[in-house]
Amino acid sequence: MKDTGKWDRLLQEALTEAAEPEDRLNEILIQRWREKETMKSKVRKRWYAGALVSGILLFLSVTTYAATQLLSAKEFVEQIGDPVLAEAFADPNAIAINQTQTSGEYQVTLHGVVSGEGLKNFYDAGEIRSDRTYAVVSIAMADGTPMPDTSDEEYGKVPFFISPLIKGVEPWRVNIVTMKGGYIDKVIDGIMYRLLECDSVEMFANRGVYLAISSSKFYDDNAFIYNETTGEIRPNPDYQGVSLLFDLPLDESKAEPELAEAYLHELVPPSDGQKNDDDIDQENIMNNINERIKQGTVIPGSVRELKVDEEGGYYYEFEDWHTPVYPESLFAEDQTGFSDDITVSGSADGTLKALQFHKDEDGVITGRLVLLPEGAMD
Amino acid sequence: MDSGDFMELVKVYGKSVYGFCYKLTGNKEDTDDLYQETFLKVMELRHKIDLHRHPKAFLIATAFRLYKNYRRKYAWRQRIVPTMMFDDSLSDSRWMTDGGVTPEDAALSNELRCKIQEAADRLSDKLKIPLYMFYTAEMSVEEIALALKIPPGTVKSRLYQARKAMKKILEGELS
Repeated sequence: MKDTGKWDRLLQEALTEAAEPEDRLNEILIQRWREKETMKSKVRKRWYAGALVSGILLFLSVTTYAATQLLSAKEFVEQIGDPVLAEAFADPNAIAINQTQTSGEYQVTLHGVVSGEGLKNFYDAGEIRSDRTYAVVSIAMADGTPMPDTSDEEYGKVPFFISPLIKGVEPWRVNIVTMKGGYIDKVIDGIMYRLLECDSVEMFANRGVYLAISSSKFYDDNAFIYNETTGEIRPNPDYQGVSLLFDLPLDESKAEPELAEAYLHELVPPSDGQKNDDDIDQENIMNNINERIKQGTVIPGSVRELKVDEEGGYYYEFEDWHTPVYPESLFAEDQTGFSDDITVSGSADGTLKALQFHKDEDGVITGRLVLLPEGAMD
Repeated sequence: MDSGDFMELVKVYGKSVYGFCYKLTGNKEDTDDLYQETFLKVMELRHKIDLHRHPKAFLIATAFRLYKNYRRKYAWRQRIVPTMMFDDSLSDSRWMTDGGVTPEDAALSNELRCKIQEAADRLSDKLKIPLYMFYTAEMSVEEIALALKIPPGTVKSRLYQARKAMKKILEGELS
């Protein structure tokens, strides 16, 4: 042991690791990397409506290149990898609209809508549901400048809120957020396409349904004017940004007034005209939430590292909370600290809780629940 | 970086990264996980770094950082799949062909090897990690310095302390 050379050689031999990666492991690794690269080609976002309101979600990004003309709804949905839904958009029961409107610097095209009956033939074939509405919208710069790609830092700097609105129903109460909606964005040849989905609007066919587009993150009360007497909604001409409405030409014979009433009753409990706990502007919530969280109390034991499910997806779990989490949407690549995306949910006893996520310098993400102070959202 | 570049990275550095991960986790299952996560994380961050300059240092540093993050998970598994994971390596041909040693010598070497590994396991991370980087991942002092973000002189000092500490442990064991 006194021979330094021998000792060094012994260490070299003893600490050299014989185990090597198997070929199969490397194949899996390369496949996983390819899948990650492919998944970057879309941006997906979904809202989970809690008892009050929730917001967050997820990301994936990149670009593909296609023909210079606009794609049809079917072609776009094929490009994002959902052939069953693509066929549904080509079905005679789907509504092809293909109308374009211009607002400010943007040209917005509503390509088509499919819901309810139009989906029944496809229900068994895939994961699409007949109680949902799907629509394809595209947004292009009016001067032909390409829209920022979803992997571009500029993407999302001008947000677009695209949502069905129902005539006669307060739009800040019933929109894509509360209708359990979500969307996927993808930029193809400089045009941003969006597939959006939410609970079916077909049951409201006799009332009149709009598709609203505004350059805002959530429903913006300033972008539209709601006439409480007639129930009509129209774009606010003074709005500084995109504000557009399309009429959805739904088949009135498909309306289901009773079902619609029940749905609204569940979604929007009857109001006595006074401002109640639920009567909250969602955007105000998100704007004020950080301030409220500072005044709140972290629920003991709720600070939990994210777990990984069998399919490799992350989720936060604490007591009766089980929330899927998409780290790519919560944090920019090198971002640390708290995410800007926060989920707020209320319960029947009037308490409000915010779910926040934190990423440390080692990349470890933890979730925590903050009990917001009483009256936090008033 | 395209698919071919990525495969080349795996081909060139895969063995070193895998060996280092194995030393950290002590079992195949966790090594497979850590190995994959290391490469995927490095690829995720490739736009932020100059991967062409010191790829091995970056890969090994990433493996160690990920391991620290998930140490609790690995530690938990290690309690279930405990300790001696050296059986596979006992048949390693290097031990059987090194200098024409006899089976008796090889058996002795295996015993010694296990004792050396146990001694290394008893070191603190501060000494053990540079040791694994140097002997297992076969990194230069400069690469270790880069990976651990410490001066080369400190790396040398830690390697010296690690060897000294191990020698002390082993002399006690073997005497």
